[in-house]
Amino acid sequence: MVYLDDLIRHRHLILSFAQRDIRAKYKQTIFGIAWAVFQPFSLMVAFTFVFSRFAQVDSEGIPYPIFSYSALIFWTCFASSVSQGTIAMAANANLVRKIYFPRETLLLAVMISALIDLGIAALVFFGMLVYYGIGLTWVSLWVIPLLALQVLITLAVICVTSAVHVHFRDIGHVLPLALLLWMLATPVAYPLSSVPASVRSLYMLNPMAGIIDGYRRVLLHGSPPDLPYLLAAFGVALFGVTVAYLFFKRAERTFADII
Amino acid sequence: MRDIAIQFDGVSKKYRLRHGWYVSIRDELARLARRFLLRDPGEPHQFWALQDVSFDIARGETIGLIGPNGAGKSTILKILSRVTTPTDGSFAVRGKVGALIEVGAGFHPDLTGRENVYLNGAIMGMRRHEIEAKFDQIVAFAEVEAFIDTPLKYYSSGMMVRLGFAVAAHIEPEILLVDEVLAVGDTAFQAKCLNKIAELKEQDKTIILVSHTMPSILQHSTRVLWVDHGKLQAFGDPEETVEEYLRSVQAHVSAGSEIEPGERPASDSPIHISSVTLRDAEERVVHSLTFGQPASIDVAYVTSGQVDNPVVSVTFQDVRGYPLGSLTSRLDGLELDVSEGHGVVRLVLLPVLFTRGSYGITVAIHDSRIQRYLDLKARAASFMVAGPSVASREVSGHVIYPHRWEAHVEQVK
Repeated sequence: MVYLDDLIRHRHLILSFAQRDIRAKYKQTIFGIAWAVFQPFSLMVAFTFVFSRFAQVDSEGIPYPIFSYSALIFWTCFASSVSQGTIAMAANANLVRKIYFPRETLLLAVMISALIDLGIAALVFFGMLVYYGIGLTWVSLWVIPLLALQVLITLAVICVTSAVHVHFRDIGHVLPLALLLWMLATPVAYPLSSVPASVRSLYMLNPMAGIIDGYRRVLLHGSPPDLPYLLAAFGVALFGVTVAYLFFKRAERTFADII
Repeated sequence: MRDIAIQFDGVSKKYRLRHGWYVSIRDELARLARRFLLRDPGEPHQFWALQDVSFDIARGETIGLIGPNGAGKSTILKILSRVTTPTDGSFAVRGKVGALIEVGAGFHPDLTGRENVYLNGAIMGMRRHEIEAKFDQIVAFAEVEAFIDTPLKYYSSGMMVRLGFAVAAHIEPEILLVDEVLAVGDTAFQAKCLNKIAELKEQDKTIILVSHTMPSILQHSTRVLWVDHGKLQAFGDPEETVEEYLRSVQAHVSAGSEIEPGERPASDSPIHISSVTLRDAEERVVHSLTFGQPASIDVAYVTSGQVDNPVVSVTFQDVRGYPLGSLTSRLDGLELDVSEGHGVVRLVLLPVLFTRGSYGITVAIHDSRIQRYLDLKARAASFMVAGPSVASREVSGHVIYPHRWEAHVEQVK
């Protein structure tokens, strides 16, 4: 509670950091903010060739480009916030060493800047919906709780990884590989239905699996997510983010000494 | 008793020393293995930056924090600004803390001056409307109006420092930590900074000033806190504490450079300084002098052959070894006829004109054209001076030149 009080007092700082991250990211670039679209879009093009043309992956009757792009924009948001969030303390070492502020503001700023990138990448998604003649329904609004769930999971992950990264830079080396493996274990390039039923329950332990599949379900298929599953996931995510946050605040005390 | 602004109660801080600038998991595993397999208690590489430090600071005081490098000054500031937490003990800080520690730590080179003012203000705890209200003042204070929309990476280092100080000086904290920032910028900007600090003092803010420049400590502090080796050495009257500190520094420095009798420098020079002695007007050997009284410095030498008209020089230094000026025997046309044997050259000060403080003397013997050193004794002696103090703000610097003030006032009808 004390922590949240302090965080609320510094809420304007979160936006300042997010603003800095976004401005600095696209300064002195020719394409500027278009880079936010570039990553998921180029992955979508590559995936379409590799998985749809060559490997002939089933896309549940939906054109493969929009099938994969609908997952890629959210996955990119997750992956970039995890990789930026993990190194956030080291990237701001100068500040962490010299000035006090609740360190989680840096993590929240990373999250916000990734969400803004997601918003920009989503514009292309709407263009694709029109192109493929897919209409959105009211069911699509389920995206909001799903995204909230994704944010909670992301924050839980980066609370832990960023704190560990201060002590052990090893995690920075492991991260790209871990994120790649994680993506393969998530229905981004292929549908959830192609996962064999025998390993399905194990597979669903990956929280991102249910979420990514959920986005596709509510946006492209127009079918609402499984409510009990969603509620349970929220419960677990809230618990996880609380524990991770307390761990982070405990570790935070010595950041300045070690970083 | 006034309200307590800052209270330290038995504060200790331990750091673990590392060989690199971070540990990897491999090192950490190795350490754990050593601990379990070899029953090594582990953590041999630890270091107490602060040990059992206790003090109270009242609201409105200006505290000078002094001590050699690595004494624990920065650790105290870091604890006060909540950047780090003590390993042991407790502390209380009442009021919003603002720090002028390495100003501009929060600057981003790709953002413009304007964007950085907002960002840095936010990092230091200002709200957007507060920054907006003070924005013009900040920019004017930093004197960067023309460049405010230029990315910071194109700023000169002076402009960056000025902007950093300007933001920090306008955050209006109740407790302000100032770390060596008075050494930055040109003289005009320094004057501006000092005025700002004086203004904050008038507003009854608590200020903690860290500096290696004793005159600025003496001019601003109401009390001085001296730390050394992580321990509180003294906390009290500025002049007494600073003098005690300077004595300890000097004892430390001169211990190594005392001229031992019979000590022979490695060179094959024909003339050597054998001792340097300070005497007062009554010919007594002393270590402290009084402003306005005559004193003399005796330089004894030993020669092992003919030396053609050598020149003796005496250089006075401040406590940190910075030379204040030299006097050579050539200036007064002293002819030294030196053949084998020994002798003494005396420099008489008519009178001592140094301000209160601690000084060092370096003595050298040169060849007749003052091009080569025949012998040099760095910090051959040191002395304290009792006299007008810079703490009075009526003088500053190290020497009071013989002078007279006159005023000519014309009455206008």
